[in-house]
Amino acid sequence: MNEPVLTARGLRKSYLSGDRRIEVLRGVDLAVAAGESVSIRGESGSGKSTLLNLISGLDTPESGELSWSGSPQLDARRRASFLGMVFQAHYLIPELDARANVLMAARILGRPAAAAGKRTDELLAKVGLTARGRHLPSQLSGGERQRVAVARALMNAPPLLLADEPTGNLDERTGAEVIELLLGLCADTGTALVLVTHSAEYAARTQRRLVLHDGRLS
Amino acid sequence: MPWYLYLALKQLFPSGRRFPFFTAISVLGVTLGVALLVVVTSVLGGFQHEIRRMIVNTEGEVQIKGRGYITNYADLIARIKAVPGVVAATPTASGVVMIEHRGFPAYPLLSGLDLNTIEGVAHLRQYLIAGSLDDLDDDSVILSSQLAAAVHATVGDTVDIVSPLILNKLGQDELFLPRTVRVVGILQIGHQQLDSSRVYGTLRLMQDLYGLGEYVHGINVRLADGANEEDVAARLNALLPPDIRAYTWMESFKDFLWVLNLERGMIFFLLLFIVIVAAFSVTSSLLISVVRKTREIGLLGALGARPREVAACFCAQGLLIGIFGTLFGLAAGFGMLGIRNYIVLGIARALGREEVLERFYQFYKLPSFTSVGEIELIIVLTIAISMLAGLVPAWQAARLKPVEALRHE
Repeated sequence: MNEPVLTARGLRKSYLSGDRRIEVLRGVDLAVAAGESVSIRGESGSGKSTLLNLISGLDTPESGELSWSGSPQLDARRRASFLGMVFQAHYLIPELDARANVLMAARILGRPAAAAGKRTDELLAKVGLTARGRHLPSQLSGGERQRVAVARALMNAPPLLLADEPTGNLDERTGAEVIELLLGLCADTGTALVLVTHSAEYAARTQRRLVLHDGRLS
Repeated sequence: MPWYLYLALKQLFPSGRRFPFFTAISVLGVTLGVALLVVVTSVLGGFQHEIRRMIVNTEGEVQIKGRGYITNYADLIARIKAVPGVVAATPTASGVVMIEHRGFPAYPLLSGLDLNTIEGVAHLRQYLIAGSLDDLDDDSVILSSQLAAAVHATVGDTVDIVSPLILNKLGQDELFLPRTVRVVGILQIGHQQLDSSRVYGTLRLMQDLYGLGEYVHGINVRLADGANEEDVAARLNALLPPDIRAYTWMESFKDFLWVLNLERGMIFFLLLFIVIVAAFSVTSSLLISVVRKTREIGLLGALGARPREVAACFCAQGLLIGIFGTLFGLAAGFGMLGIRNYIVLGIARALGREEVLERFYQFYKLPSFTSVGEIELIIVLTIAISMLAGLVPAWQAARLKPVEALRHE
């Protein structure tokens, strides 16, 4: 196994629901190697998104340890260069065209404009949207928007990509295209992928398939 | 360009849309406030500037007045002219008289002018609309335009002048006949009050009418261009006897100027509320924008944006609205100033009240004088208020945690 880009040990997280505390994660262990693709399936409310929020550093566990390429620190800037994220909704900025949306990921990190522009064009070509770069999100189809979101997630060449039900808002055929694209791009660039999905079919396309049940991964 | 400034610009002016509604309304509110501030402060400044011009052109920048009469004025003028900054000085005497022509009486102020020195101080020639200053002698007068009209007199007519001295003479059982003088000129300064209540004669005529002998009431002083009025007045006061004092034109008219300044200050303050109300509208629009864009803000956080940068994005929108509103407001304000007289006359004509306007505002044309300091104050205040308008939404946006913002429904 390659050096893990992500290691999680004994992650626990609970929420208050009225007077009752619900334990969503009860000691999750996970290691993702560089370039590996891992799928996580589970029922609605099983804590898949909660787990993804923890391993993305957006949320903090009540207990347990996390390290990203061996470092337990992940501030906003490091997170942005270490992790790419694709969500169920595309979350594109409606005032920016497709190209500017992709470029925004590099702008925020203050990457040099010329190199960032070149990479944006490369990524748009890879997701098959070169001709749609100047179109606003409102002028794109659902599948095209999600492909822009994938390009944006890969903009800073992160070693790890987290995808939280990226096909949830898409029809079957478009969803399959997006998954194909995600897996293909991650394989081409050596990016590790953690894919949260309901679909057994999409999960079967990953190298390792995990199920989150009763607060634990198996 | 930092990403937050770029995004602020894009949110105000999105690609493919020329001028979105939110931006247009927000900028318009600020524009309106700035334009009105520019117009009103310039017009009020114009009134003040016109008053200064008229006072200085007819009485000089500094007026020297005694508690009683000034006796040895020739000697005093020689000393005054030696003071640095003083260009010329002229003795003057003035007092209310009654004039009468064809049974039409009036009670103007007669100013006695020393013909040898008056032109060094007062630029009366430029205001003459009939007759000539050269024809003025001890048996003639120049009437202000509205006064001439009121007594139905014109150049070449004779008018009778009666001074209050007649009362003293009557008390001593002496006969003091009215002085009959020719009208040799009509003067129009452009200020309703001055043009309806002034008569100009020689100093000798005024001295005779008031029984002043060789005395005068004061000395008017003209300063060199750029000379500081207050400094020169202070220098003059240092050499004048204790019962004689030099006043700048501002001191001479200090009550009037105080009222004018108070009026300017109050109107400025009230009009600033237009900008403040516009800023509140910007705040509420940006707050709605924060709620509407909660998930996008969460995404920015996920992409590495720091809370202060997210805040800067919203603050910058307020700032940009302020900058654009100020620029458009300045353009609109100066544009309106350029056509102010057409606007005012158009309104007056439409209402058929041109004369009332003239009588009320004292000037025949709406004056305008734009102070650089006031424009700078308008720019700074407007931009600062607009930026403050973005602070509350910015704070709201910065408080959002990415993980919660992304879950926002």
